Amino acid sequence: MTADLDSPLNNDMELVARTQGGDPEAFDELIVKYTPRLYGLVYHMTSNHEDTNDLLQDIFSKAYRSMANFRGNSSFYTWMHSIAVNMTINFLKKRNRRQHPSLNDPDSNIENDPDFIAATSNGDPTKEVSIHELQKKLNAAMQKLSHDHRIVVTMFDIQGIAHAEIAKILKISEGTVRSRLFYAHRLLQNSLHEFKRN
Amino acid sequence: MNHEPMHKIIKLKRYEQPPEGYYQDFLHEFHRRQRAELLNLPLSTLIMERLLGLIPEFRVPAMAFAGAAAVAIIASLAIIRETPRNEMARAYSASYTPTRPYSQAPVTIHNIQPVSLRINMDQQIQPQNASTLFPPSYLLQARPVSHESPLSF
Repeated sequence: MTADLDSPLNNDMELVARTQGGDPEAFDELIVKYTPRLYGLVYHMTSNHEDTNDLLQDIFSKAYRSMANFRGNSSFYTWMHSIAVNMTINFLKKRNRRQHPSLNDPDSNIENDPDFIAATSNGDPTKEVSIHELQKKLNAAMQKLSHDHRIVVTMFDIQGIAHAEIAKILKISEGTVRSRLFYAHRLLQNSLHEFKRN
Repeated sequence: MNHEPMHKIIKLKRYEQPPEGYYQDFLHEFHRRQRAELLNLPLSTLIMERLLGLIPEFRVPAMAFAGAAAVAIIASLAIIRETPRNEMARAYSASYTPTRPYSQAPVTIHNIQPVSLRINMDQQIQPQNASTLFPPSYLLQARPVSHESPLSF
C-alpha cells in the first residue's frame, strides 16, 4: 500500500477529476489508496482503534462532500492529510480527558526488528522487556505530548513524512516543524529513558 | 541532542496494525454509511440538492436574461409612475369632503359685489344655540355602563 503513494501524483489528480465528474468508483480507489496511511495518522494520535475507525469514516465522508471545492492548489495527498489532521485535532479537543486506549496488537515482525531488539534488551538479555510493555510505555509517552507535538512525531517518526511535507500539511514553517520535533523528542526521552540505547 | 535513538524507538509504533481484513471492510463500511446518511437526510435538503443539480443542465439563451431584465425594469417604472398618483388622488378625495359645494361659476371681476359695512336691521338675528354652533357629530360617544338600559343587549 505504501508503494502506491510513490506513484505519480497526477494519478491522484486523474482520480480526483473523475470523482468530480460524478464517478464514485474513482473515489473508492482514493479511499483504498489512502486508508492505511491516514489510519496510521489518526490511530497514533488517538491511541484508540474504534475512535480511529469512526473518525476515518468521517474524514473520507467530508473529503467526498468537499471534493467539488478541491481546486488542485495543493496535491490531493496534502489536502487529504490536512483534512485528517484538522478533524483529528478537533476530535481530541472534544474528547479531552475521556480517553480509553484501545491499542492494536503489534505485528509479529516487530520481534525481528533490530531496533526493537536493541531497545528492549538494551544490551542485557536478562532485562528484556515484553512487546506489550514497550507498547504501553510508548503509548503513554505519546499521550503526554500536546496535540501539536504529537502530530509532528506521528508524521515524521512513525510515518516517515518529510519536514517540508509536514510543513505544508500543517501550514507552518519547516523551522517550526523542526523545533516542535526537537522539543517533543526531549519530552519523549524523559519518559522513555529506560529504552534509550547507549 | 541526538534524535536518532528516540526516532528508532518511536518508529516501532508502526508495527501496531488494525486487525486483518480491516482495510477491505473499511470501503464496504464507507458505502454503507453513505447510504444510511442519504436515507436520514431531511426532505428539504434532498429537494435543494436536486434543484442545485438541475441548475447546470438548465440552459437558457443568454439574451433571455437581458429580455427578462428589460421587461422587469419597464414594469417597475410603470408601477412607480402610475400607482402613487392614482392612489394619492383617491386617498385625498376620500379624506377631504367640503361642507358646502364650491360655486361652479367662475369668479370674475364682474361678479364681485361691493361690500357694505352697514348693519341691516331688517334681518333677524338668529339665536345661537349648541346645535347651530356644533354640527351633529357622527361619532358614537361612549356612555358609562350605569346609564345603559337594562334591556339593551
